[in-house]
Amino acid sequence: MRALIFSKRTWKEIMRDPLSYIFCLGFPVVMLFIMTAVNKNIPEEAGMHLFEIQSLAPGIAVFGLSFVMLFACIQVSKDRSTAFLLRLYVSPMKPSDFISGYTLPMLWTAFLQEIITFFVSIMIGFTADVSFQPIRLILCLAALIPAGLLFIGFGLLFGSLLSEKAAPGICSVVISVVCFLGGIWMDVDSLGGTLAKICHVLPFYHAVHAARIVLSGDFGDAGTSIFVLLLYSVLIFLLAAFVLREKIQKDLR
Amino acid sequence: MSTAIEVSHLRKEFRLKTAIKDISFSVEAGTVFSLLGVNGAGKTTTIRILTGLSRPTAGDAVILGHSISRELDLVKKISNLSPQETSVASNLTVRENLEFIAGIYGMNKAKTEENTNRMIALFSLEEVEKSKAKILSGGWQRKLSIAMALITEPKILYLDEPTLGLDVLARKELWNIIEKIKEQVTIVLTTHYMEEAERLSDRIAVMVSGEIQAVGTPEELKAQTGTDTLEDAFIKIAERGNVVCGH
Ligand SMILES: Nc1ncnc2c1ncn2[C@@H]1O[C@H](COP(=O)(O)OP(=O)(O)O)[C@@H](O)[C@H]1O
Ligand SMILES: [Mg+2]
Repeated sequence: MRALIFSKRTWKEIMRDPLSYIFCLGFPVVMLFIMTAVNKNIPEEAGMHLFEIQSLAPGIAVFGLSFVMLFACIQVSKDRSTAFLLRLYVSPMKPSDFISGYTLPMLWTAFLQEIITFFVSIMIGFTADVSFQPIRLILCLAALIPAGLLFIGFGLLFGSLLSEKAAPGICSVVISVVCFLGGIWMDVDSLGGTLAKICHVLPFYHAVHAARIVLSGDFGDAGTSIFVLLLYSVLIFLLAAFVLREKIQKDLR
Repeated sequence: MSTAIEVSHLRKEFRLKTAIKDISFSVEAGTVFSLLGVNGAGKTTTIRILTGLSRPTAGDAVILGHSISRELDLVKKISNLSPQETSVASNLTVRENLEFIAGIYGMNKAKTEENTNRMIALFSLEEVEKSKAKILSGGWQRKLSIAMALITEPKILYLDEPTLGLDVLARKELWNIIEKIKEQVTIVLTTHYMEEAERLSDRIAVMVSGEIQAVGTPEELKAQTGTDTLEDAFIKIAERGNVVCGH
């Protein structure tokens, strides 16, 4: 009950911050349009399919999740920097209430973001004579859930560890890493070498790959990616929950 | 009268500094008790320990029969605090802030509504009820902050420097409110304003460098030091250093 009430408050904070609309909702949509325009200028012979809408949409969906991470991070570090948390520390709030109270509204934000991203993608698909199968879209949304948890976990982790000032900086580094090594803007599979190995060890490539492959209907090696992703999200999330709990307890010394 | 708070031999050491050194005092139920002292005297640290925000290095306090070291969950349910820094959720409205806190303390919808309305009336918050907390002036924020502590129906209310940084009018208004609510709740407040301590307190503890140097009613403190004003009494007590006066 306390967790739900705290969630409601976090949700209101998100909804009343104009930056949420710009980054969490507006930015992914803008990127969809820009990359679609870029794709129109890539000659057919180049054999470059990354920016075609079926492959672009899942990439942008994961890109959008990295902004949910930024928001989770800013919210936690901002709360920690004000005396508002003192009030909650003297209340009967437990660390688990804080953790779910931050996670639930962020998951909900992520969900709305994905719906909007795919809705716009379907519209773009119409113009290019590409249609999305509803069942695959739903499976793709499901495949994005562990990715959402992973990014929210990162957000909580950075938000607990970093100050309000340092938090956005570190998050933008992670966002860049996600973009480059996640294979959103470039074809990681054709890379080879050490860089490809790094990509495969990190979870971001798998988040994008799993969503893409599920949407394409060719399930191929989706299992491996989803497994790696699940493993990472559980680990990062547990680590974040642990660190947040430690931080709260340390604040109380 | 019964004892609401019994503090015994409380001590708090930080890595480089002992913030409070073996303090003891007791507070009668239904009274206003003030910790009076300059910045750094250890007032906030004392309040933090009594509200469970910080663990004592040694000593204990019993709040309405519950020990802060063994029954903190019970202590938390019966006390609440308005911190030194005004702490309100800046993007929530005044009403939402109050409802949020009521909810966190487990009140149902009807009770939340009833208490919120009562606080808005008590603190005359009607005209800012729908404003976001972040646009309020210091005086309004402080009133909201105290209302957020009182809405949970605490038996003990801690006010840490309740009028710090307020203008004369806002301060007077807050004093009137505190005088009104002291009938419902035992109040422990901290201040470094002599006038405030004298006007509001039944008893005052003078804190100097982490120690309580004197405890008594304002009249007793003046009598003990042979002075006419609380300010002179305070100066004398503070200068006397470690000589403990009192009963
Ligand atoms: N977390 C802390 N770590 C180290 N020293 C602290 C901490 N909190 C308070 N102090 C020190 O303890 C002393 C008492 O502080 P405080 O209780 O805030 O005083 P007051 O509220 O009377 O102004 C000060 O010297 C302060 O610097
Ligand atoms: Mg203080």
